[in-house]
Amino acid sequence: MTNTNVTLNDAAVGAPPVRRRGKFAGMLQRSETLRGFFLLSPTLVVMTIGIVIPFAILITMSLWTAIGFGFDTTLTTANYETALEQPVYGALMHRSLVISGWATVATVLLSYPMAYYVAFHVHKNKMMWIVLMTLPFWTSYLLRVFAWKVVLGYEGVINSGLLWAGLIDAPLEFLLYSQQAVVITLAHSWVAFAILPIYVSLEKIDRSLLEAATDLGDGPVARFFRITLPLSMPGVIAASFLIFIPTTGDYITPALLGGPDGMMIGNLIQLQFGPVNNWPMGASLAIGLMLYISAIGLVFLALTKVFKERMA
Amino acid sequence: MDVLDQIGAVREGKMSRRAFTRSLAAAGVGMATVPFSGRKAMAAPEDQATYFTWGGYDIPELFGEYQAKNGELPNFSIFGGSEEALTKMRGGFVVDVSHPCNQAVPRWTATGLFQSADMSRLSHAGDIIPELTQLEGNADGDNLWMVPFDWGQTSITYRTDLVEIEGEESWDILWDEKYAGRLGSLGAGADAWWVGAIKAGVDFDNIDTPEAFEKIAAVMREQRPHIRVYTDDTTTLEQALASGEMVAAMTWNSSATLLRAEGHPVRFAQPKEGALTWVCGLMIHKDAPNLDRAYDVIDSMLSVDTGKFMINDYGYGHSNAKSFDEFDEETLVGLGLSKNPADILEAGHFQKPQTQEFESKMNALFEQIKAGF
Repeated sequence: MTNTNVTLNDAAVGAPPVRRRGKFAGMLQRSETLRGFFLLSPTLVVMTIGIVIPFAILITMSLWTAIGFGFDTTLTTANYETALEQPVYGALMHRSLVISGWATVATVLLSYPMAYYVAFHVHKNKMMWIVLMTLPFWTSYLLRVFAWKVVLGYEGVINSGLLWAGLIDAPLEFLLYSQQAVVITLAHSWVAFAILPIYVSLEKIDRSLLEAATDLGDGPVARFFRITLPLSMPGVIAASFLIFIPTTGDYITPALLGGPDGMMIGNLIQLQFGPVNNWPMGASLAIGLMLYISAIGLVFLALTKVFKERMA
Repeated sequence: MDVLDQIGAVREGKMSRRAFTRSLAAAGVGMATVPFSGRKAMAAPEDQATYFTWGGYDIPELFGEYQAKNGELPNFSIFGGSEEALTKMRGGFVVDVSHPCNQAVPRWTATGLFQSADMSRLSHAGDIIPELTQLEGNADGDNLWMVPFDWGQTSITYRTDLVEIEGEESWDILWDEKYAGRLGSLGAGADAWWVGAIKAGVDFDNIDTPEAFEKIAAVMREQRPHIRVYTDDTTTLEQALASGEMVAAMTWNSSATLLRAEGHPVRFAQPKEGALTWVCGLMIHKDAPNLDRAYDVIDSMLSVDTGKFMINDYGYGHSNAKSFDEFDEETLVGLGLSKNPADILEAGHFQKPQTQEFESKMNALFEQIKAGF
């Protein structure tokens, strides 16, 4: 206490009583916008360095062309033209969207009952249930994908089980190295990202609405489709977004489990930066994928809006 | 204060905050000190050379001399194909030693990312089989860009119990409709495309012509529906062959040798059209941070002990002539090797360096074919 007093006294004696402010501080005080930007600045710096600059490089590079080990830096849209002309790019893009579309549907269908159960039928230790559901996701993504290789493999768990049960004579070969394998694995890998948003939106539903529906004569099924499902739609839409966007560009799952027919656009982009050695082409494909996903995202958002208006 | 006691205390609600904090602190200190315990006083891993290589070369058996001299193994970084490795190094990945093959040497040196090896700094330099050093584009005065290390073949490993051979062994096995969906292939064009050239009857001197591209592409497209998986991961191919998921696959010598050692009925074919042959070796990065140890890595890999392992366990040829003295003629023939590399390399089709344009064009086309176009 004494120490503090001394310092305070010293300061009072040494400094003039009027607080001096810098010019900048003054501006900061007056302008609310400036204060906002000042608060945002750490994030803005990170965003600029981490996203805006690399994105600008990506766009610039996509307009170059590769020659041997170097680049021809005259700007041209040749890469985009090639991407549109050659069927392989469009086909892989399309396949990626179909695979991740199915994976999204499968994930949401799988997670909905789980989230529903926790939201409506678990009354004690809800948090523990949620944590338990995310437990498998504490292992690395790569390891989980690899585990599926073991499960789906020729001598894998499923095939051995079916053989043992006498249901099949020879191992099912379509299980591994196929688009199905990619869909199954993606659905499992991303399930936690679907459970949580769906759970939150189910949890928020006002229980009295359900009671009212029952009082007015709705059976459990009708009640689910008229009250619960529509009210949990925000969660379902968020989950679909969260899964669809990252899985479209997934690389490791198709690389390990896809086989020749399960290759996706992410693998093709990697190849451009690897053995094919055509970075500009890779850059334009990456941008193409972004545009494609944004377009689908916009369509999705528009549909959501229509849906919401109908609900209201 | 044992662990069980604490759990009991928590359950009964008797755990005091202070006791809990103390156990947390103990656990924290324990975790933090793990890295310091039980380490011998040796050079830290960051002082060791970094060796950037194919999967399967990151094992202590190849680095006996290195370990004896420097106390620890070099650091390893693994690639699946050498083109991938080159792209990564061009992107700024600095290593001490990397592991390309003869076909890539002129292109690798052209990047300016490598320095030639001073042969006088290698104690085993005198034992290197001379013809292995005389590769196209490899000499830099008395220095070598790539110090030869291993040589071998790309051929077919097939299950003798599942594949019927009529007459001579041939590359046709990998194009046989009978085995559709049960064939495997290496994923890199650096092997597969050249095999396609052998199958299509294209001479390697003319591999970079439009007609050759057309012919090879047609052959590869024909093969593609039969292939279960294209991969650079030899373990995947080996496991598939062992389980019978695949009956035949394009592999290097080591897959067949490893599978045979495990008692699987496989053979490394000597196709009548000739196998694809190559010499691989070690190149030093121009900015190698541990240059002395880079030479130690190379020297260790040239040693007879390493050579014995390479020949016996992997079935590859080694570049040290003395390594072969450890084996009798019969064993070598059984492994498909010879003391005289020319016997093997010239009996097959030896890879020839190509331009970067060829490499990019070939890879782009091959990747399209793999994707089904």
